[in-house]
Amino acid sequence: MSETPIGEDLADLYDNAPCGYVSLSPNGRIVRINRTLARWLGGDTDSLLGEPFHSLLSFGGKIALETHLAPLLRLQGYVDEIALDLLQADGGKLPMIANAAEKRDSDGGLLSTRLTLFRAIDRRTYERGLVAARSEAEARADSEQEVSVLREQFIAVLGHDLRNPLAAVAAGIGILARNEQLSARGAAVLREMEDSAGRALALIGNVLDFARGRLGQGIPLELDAERPIKPVLEQVVREVQVIAPGRDIQAHIRIETPFLCDPLRLGQLASNLLSNAMTHGDRGKPIVLDARTEADGFVLAVSNGGRPIPEDAQRHLFQPFFRGAIRDRQNGLGLGLFIVSEIAKAHGGTIEVSSTEEETRFTFTMPLGRSATPDAA
Amino acid sequence: MILNRNNVVISGEGERTIMFSHGFGCDQHMWGPVARSFERDFRVVLLDLVGAGRSDLTAYDSQKYATLEGYAADVVEIGETLGLKGAVFVGHSVSAMIGGLATLKAPGMFSDLVMVGPSPRYVDDGDYTGGFSKAQIEELLEFLADNHLGWSAAMAPAIMGNPDRPELGEALTNSFCATDPEIARQFARRTFFADNRADLPRLKVRTLVLQCQEDIIAPETVGEYVHAQVPGSEYVLLDATGHCPNLSAPEKVAAAIRAFV
Repeated sequence: MSETPIGEDLADLYDNAPCGYVSLSPNGRIVRINRTLARWLGGDTDSLLGEPFHSLLSFGGKIALETHLAPLLRLQGYVDEIALDLLQADGGKLPMIANAAEKRDSDGGLLSTRLTLFRAIDRRTYERGLVAARSEAEARADSEQEVSVLREQFIAVLGHDLRNPLAAVAAGIGILARNEQLSARGAAVLREMEDSAGRALALIGNVLDFARGRLGQGIPLELDAERPIKPVLEQVVREVQVIAPGRDIQAHIRIETPFLCDPLRLGQLASNLLSNAMTHGDRGKPIVLDARTEADGFVLAVSNGGRPIPEDAQRHLFQPFFRGAIRDRQNGLGLGLFIVSEIAKAHGGTIEVSSTEEETRFTFTMPLGRSATPDAA
Repeated sequence: MILNRNNVVISGEGERTIMFSHGFGCDQHMWGPVARSFERDFRVVLLDLVGAGRSDLTAYDSQKYATLEGYAADVVEIGETLGLKGAVFVGHSVSAMIGGLATLKAPGMFSDLVMVGPSPRYVDDGDYTGGFSKAQIEELLEFLADNHLGWSAAMAPAIMGNPDRPELGEALTNSFCATDPEIARQFARRTFFADNRADLPRLKVRTLVLQCQEDIIAPETVGEYVHAQVPGSEYVLLDATGHCPNLSAPEKVAAAIRAFV
């Protein structure tokens, strides 16, 4: 196998290479330029000789040459992959990619600077498209974020405005029930109304707590080390028992040391856990609330029997608006456990769930002492 | 803490301290050749402005650094940490003004100020010729957006997360003057839209203005303006071209500073 060596004319390669070549003197003037580059720029090589290289650059490019490229060239001897726009004779701009390197003497002194340039119209257009797309995406994400904060503020305001008139209605129902002579039918209707108003108020309360949590304020606490937690929890158990007279609810409450917490919020936490157990637990099995202080913490656990919670559902239980897939009849928005976890967080505590064939148990623990977030409502 | 924030590097031996601060576009490497020539008889302090070089990028606060005052406050903190008195401050480009502001904040810390290629305002304004128009500065910002100069800082986490793509590490070769592109963009805005003309007549320390020829960033007329506005200042037109004589003609810059201090 024989090959005929093809002679390459190096002078011709320089002049007519498929890229531009230009060499600069130490003070930045063009001392040599190839025909390809001169042609791209719309001039001839002779007219460009002696010109300062920066006269080929847009003003932005000139500043960048002085502030970035020249220092980099001196410091490391080369700069690669610079995007530059070169000015053409007719005033147009030619997008290019350039590599540059210094030719130095043995002492490191600058002899000349050589640049190799490629036309890069498509590539630069593509890159600018990417940059534009990114800033557009960022702007869109910002505005969506804004809208979502507005929406949650709206929910908070609306919830607040609904609650006051509804509370007035509930109070009015209470007065009627206690002070007025009613027919049996009237009393029954009023009881229904009282229940409904109570449920609506509880829902609004949940929505408000949710909105506060989402707006980054967290659940506000009114910390109180004086008010005993035991009567609050007992009251919660009584209320739940009244709603479901047939269910077996057992409470074991043993508080040996008073501690800093928001007793009403912990009551709300217990109430949400008990309601959850009533909704999802087996009706024939007892619900057990166990609350006690230990050496270094307060533990409150609620357990019930029934079908275990699937593992993948356990991961999402504490997210807002999560509702188990199995139930078809639900009252509630799926905020109860989210609010439980927010109250736990606000107290510097944790909420955990375990679920087996024997029992499903939610356990809240918080440290005794100083760790509750001290920002009151 | 403060010294880490600004990547302060101290070398040399001497009673007197000389501090070098870099301009827009690079970092303390700009001063390498000049600073070395002072090491035998000065304590030499080099620093990176926050956002540049190897400064602590987490310390960057776009509020604090919205004006040059924020950078000047950092210079003063460094001076306090090092217990400087009667020291020399050499500032290139935007750092010349930062140094001027620092001498106003902490009288006595610096007794001599060397301004290399200073400009109190880059954009033309009425009778004043800074040499730039707003549109031209927008062009510069566009160039910065187009180029990957110094993207290494921002890209570093991506590279570490891509051990299967070693070409990324190989590709980021412009390791000097590296900076976060967003910070570079903000710094460009602060630098080129700043106006510190009113501060010049208030400068009280001995001041040398070092001017280059054919400097398109800070033309001779601007250097002469600074000289005229700073009371009792000296003016030297260097036999050097371009905006970075500290790299292109370090021995001439060093000789001029030495003759002054």
